[in-house]
Amino acid sequence: MIHLESITKTYLLGKESVNVLNNISLRIEQGEFVAIMGPSGSGKSTLMNMIGCLDKPTTGTYNLSGENVSHYSENELARVRNQSIGFVFQQFHLLPRLSALKNVELPMIYAGVSKSERQSRAEEALIKVGLADRMDHLPNALSGGQKQRVAIARAIVNKPKIILADEPTGALDSKTSVAIMEQFRELNQEEGVTIIVVTHESEVAEYAKRTIFVRDGMIQAPSSSSKGAFE
Amino acid sequence: MSFMENLLMALNSLKAHKMRSILTMLGIIIGVGAVIIVVAIGQGGEAMLKTQITGPGNTVELFYQPSDEEIRSNPNIFLVAPFKQEDIRAIEQIQEIKSIVASSTQMSTVSYKQETADASSTGINQAYLKLNEMEVEKGRSFSTSDFLGGRRVGLVSHVIQEELFKGDNPVGEVIKVANQPIEIIGVLEKPTGLLSFGSMEVYLPFQTWRTIYGSSDFTQVTLQAESSEQLQIAGKKAAKLLNNMHNTEDSYQVLNMEEIAAGIGQITRIMTIIIGSIAGISLFVGGIGVMNIMLVSVTERTREIGIRMALGATRGQVLTQFLIESMTLTLIGGILGIFLGWGTASIVSFFAGWPSLISWQVVLGGVVFSMVIGVVFGLLPANKASKLDPIEALRYE
Ligand SMILES: Nc1ncnc2c1ncn2[C@@H]1O[C@H](COP(=O)(O)OP(=O)(O)O)[C@@H](O)[C@H]1O
Ligand SMILES: [Mg+2]
Repeated sequence: MIHLESITKTYLLGKESVNVLNNISLRIEQGEFVAIMGPSGSGKSTLMNMIGCLDKPTTGTYNLSGENVSHYSENELARVRNQSIGFVFQQFHLLPRLSALKNVELPMIYAGVSKSERQSRAEEALIKVGLADRMDHLPNALSGGQKQRVAIARAIVNKPKIILADEPTGALDSKTSVAIMEQFRELNQEEGVTIIVVTHESEVAEYAKRTIFVRDGMIQAPSSSSKGAFE
Repeated sequence: MSFMENLLMALNSLKAHKMRSILTMLGIIIGVGAVIIVVAIGQGGEAMLKTQITGPGNTVELFYQPSDEEIRSNPNIFLVAPFKQEDIRAIEQIQEIKSIVASSTQMSTVSYKQETADASSTGINQAYLKLNEMEVEKGRSFSTSDFLGGRRVGLVSHVIQEELFKGDNPVGEVIKVANQPIEIIGVLEKPTGLLSFGSMEVYLPFQTWRTIYGSSDFTQVTLQAESSEQLQIAGKKAAKLLNNMHNTEDSYQVLNMEEIAAGIGQITRIMTIIIGSIAGISLFVGGIGVMNIMLVSVTERTREIGIRMALGATRGQVLTQFLIESMTLTLIGGILGIFLGWGTASIVSFFAGWPSLISWQVVLGGVVFSMVIGVVFGLLPANKASKLDPIEALRYE
């Protein structure tokens, strides 16, 4: 479903050009649960942004669900992000002035969903992540784990095929991390959502069926099904 | 994404910084308010001045302005009533004239019992009261037989009742006007309007007046016509006729209303331009303020913009969001400005005694104009927001 071929991403810093992603080729199938690991600065986030259509490759092609999105216009990419991808971030990235419910409604606003349907679908998503009693709370009134659950509800509310989570447990304690990862596992197993998680923690990577190692903008070893083989 | 959606979103984020929003609106409030005040008071004042000059009944006064030569040959010329009976009969032949009101006024001593005062005594014909919009407050007005029979009856002004009768009802009492007994049949209403103060006045049927003062000449002649154009023609004809009959160059004249109306229009136009440009500058400065605050807001909300883009907002949708936000800001400012202007204009016109005219066109103009300001000055910040790189924006602290 996700098919990256010879992707490079080059940034120009002054006169120097930095290759952040270096000839990456990668294939991830529908329904996979993949972990991406690697040292800080190795290009994991850049790779995630590429997969999530927030960024465009400098060279190479990206096929998503059989469509070459490398040359999509910005508006088309926005539609892909809205319809096919759900993001979960380390810092949660909720809008602080909106209630949990309104935060979850956001992606549907840009999808043009009617107000009443938006509310019922947002409620449904929040119930699924176990926040039925926190819908009207502002993000400030929620714990870190609860915030991340709201973010997950927001990521799944448009029923995307892929969820991209960039260090989703990086700001959480280990007990909460386990609960969040269980949530991802449930989504993957029960609804067949493709899940890609960037992490530093091998405990987190253990939830994935496959782990990809990135170093200096390159995929280090051919992907294998071995678990927790990092370091 | 609907307009309503955007509007609610805009109201929400303006509410998040209430004080800042209100302060930002202030420039727009004052600017729009000033425009409304100028237009309302200007239009009201112009309308009032015009009706005061031509009057509601399309009337114009003929007047006599003797030349230097005439004054030299007869230094007492100002004491002579300039319009003779035959003048009036000649003017009556002019086709455009609907009616003529001729009257004569002299200052006289008026007395009641022991009280004595000076008052103007005016002999009038039947059309006079109606033309000058004078109404009787107490008692009755003149009847046709009062005029034809030259009865010794009179109407007095409100001031006479106050001065000579200490406010008591004078109807039915007999006063002396130039030592001749006159029965008071009515009291006139107090005059209203900007420049009218009450004064001591007695009005008599012209026949009566004539026997008291022994003169059948008139001091004032007013012409009435169907329209202001006809009035203009009639006035010119009458003045020419009188100059011919009296063998004068240009001593009989008529007020040229077109010139006066044009002059007033000129004055109000200049006023409107001056105050209008002040209002324009204040609106411009207000607009800059809006732009400034919106730029601050875009910077503050960089992360929000990044999040919205990650969730699928297009650049166009981000642009629209911020444009509608700045437009909402200026629209609310504009509406408050309209209320401010309307309130101020009402207070001013209440004390100045002239109407303030607020037309729906002005209100609509204020609303549309403030929205346009929001869009124009919101364009730069909204454009900045929409051009943000989502990745950078998400990383923004
Ligand atoms: N906009 C940019 N301009 C220049 N360099 C960048 C930019 N974005 C990321 N980088 C660089 O690319 C490298 C990889 O970054 P990132 O993908 O965030 O790494 P990771 O998520 O693995 O820690 C880092 O060295 C970072 O400094
Ligand atoms: Mg990273």
